[in-house]
Amino acid sequence: MLAEQIINGIVLGSMYALVALGYTLVFGVLDKLNFAHGETFMLGGFVAIAASALGAPLWVAFPCALLICGALGLLVELLSFRKFRSADAQVTAALSSLALGLVLIDLVQKTYGSEPVSLELPLEVRTATIAVGGIEIAQIKLAILGIALLLMGGLQVLVTHTRVGRNIRAVAESPLAAALLGIHVRLVMQQTFVIASALAGIAGVMLAMRTGYAASDIGFTFGIKALAIMAIGGMGDLRGAMLGGILVGIVEALAVQFGLGKLGEIVVWILMIIVLLVRPGGLFSTGTEQRA
Amino acid sequence: MPEPILAVDMLEVAYGPIRALRGCSLTVSAGETVAVVGANGAGKTTLLRAISNVLPHTGGEVRFDGTTTRGRRADQLALAGLLQVPEGRGIIGRLSVAENLQLAWALRPDEGGFEAASRRVFARFPRLQERLSQRAGSMSGGEQQMLALARAIISPPRVLLVDEPSLGLSPVMVSEVFSVLKAFRESGVTILLVEQNVRQALAIADRAYVLRQGTIVAEGSGQTLLSDPAMLRYYLGSG
Repeated sequence: MLAEQIINGIVLGSMYALVALGYTLVFGVLDKLNFAHGETFMLGGFVAIAASALGAPLWVAFPCALLICGALGLLVELLSFRKFRSADAQVTAALSSLALGLVLIDLVQKTYGSEPVSLELPLEVRTATIAVGGIEIAQIKLAILGIALLLMGGLQVLVTHTRVGRNIRAVAESPLAAALLGIHVRLVMQQTFVIASALAGIAGVMLAMRTGYAASDIGFTFGIKALAIMAIGGMGDLRGAMLGGILVGIVEALAVQFGLGKLGEIVVWILMIIVLLVRPGGLFSTGTEQRA
Repeated sequence: MPEPILAVDMLEVAYGPIRALRGCSLTVSAGETVAVVGANGAGKTTLLRAISNVLPHTGGEVRFDGTTTRGRRADQLALAGLLQVPEGRGIIGRLSVAENLQLAWALRPDEGGFEAASRRVFARFPRLQERLSQRAGSMSGGEQQMLALARAIISPPRVLLVDEPSLGLSPVMVSEVFSVLKAFRESGVTILLVEQNVRQALAIADRAYVLRQGTIVAEGSGQTLLSDPAMLRYYLGSG
């Protein structure tokens, strides 16, 4: 059914958006890509697995992923970005974070094996539905969408209306000017990594709950797609990452609906190539760039 | 004589093999306006960046308020009141005018509160009040420079370093910038001004230094240097 597929697409897209936001936040502030971000997201799913194995209630995975993946963000900043501050160190930082991501995958595979690990969800969580406008929707999907929208709204408020957000925007525009104003630039960069990584971790928990399993290679598939969404939405553009994520989620879901199957993924990559060719500033760029 | 609030002693800065500052020394006392003039490439911007610790120095020392700045970050110095308006103004173009002012005030709040501080600023810069919600980057260069200066004094700095405030501005805006600096000076702000616009800089300065190829080659009162056009021509390559 079409409406149901669109809802599926929005739910999927909201998770894409959360991961894409992390890429774009870090890119906005450092002008560098964090290639460990997909694996931070992946780790979120395994935090859910670990919490459930310890017998914790389902919701406990969220604060745990927030803390663990947020702390991982600090580690990524320390190991792969702190030393490489100059603009011409982009490749160095990218390679270093890529290697760090690969280490994370190896560590997870050492612990859980390379096959997907299923997440035990209570039957009522998996099957409960709610009728919205005549359509039966799984409650878990609505919960995921609700949390994702809440986080996105919260991020928007944080960035536009708080001191931390103002500092982030100032550093994103000019670390030099920010430092001369009295902003502790390294602290702002750390805050950015923590926020980005915590969001990715929560998205990882949500994906595991949605699909019922966590997989160690998800950073390469889902994570890289979020990277494409960042490019589609405009590098460093928060609103672009949110809208781009939802858009790509819907496009993929519709591709499934119309029997294109795996071709849905190709659509995403082709979309990215076209957007980069036609609107290098991103699909939603207005000419006056609106970055983090 | 009391110790100067800012003392630069034999400062050395090198970009790789290029020595941009070679033993540069100067002092600024509280309440003074000091100008450093020099031709393009003399090391003026390097000097201010080294004082603010955004550029590491390879030798010499900077003392602010009697203590060395070694080991302190640029933001710590700014919070301590050694504030720089950099070349290119350093405004945050994607933030609104109001946000730029709030940002600066929140970093160095004073007891009177933001409202009182902004009233003070608007009395001096009435045009900024009309543009509060505008993106700072969409204003003209002159207005951006005014915002940068307004932001610098929203809570009074101990020493204000100003790097080429007249750069790229129309003659009308240049004289406006200098009249603002003059007003700052008259209200007691301590200023170290770096300028290529020699005449106007010397005219508002109590004392001035001439910087050439990374060293101070002359110093004197602004008026003395102004009245010696032959010397200025020799060191600056123009009147």
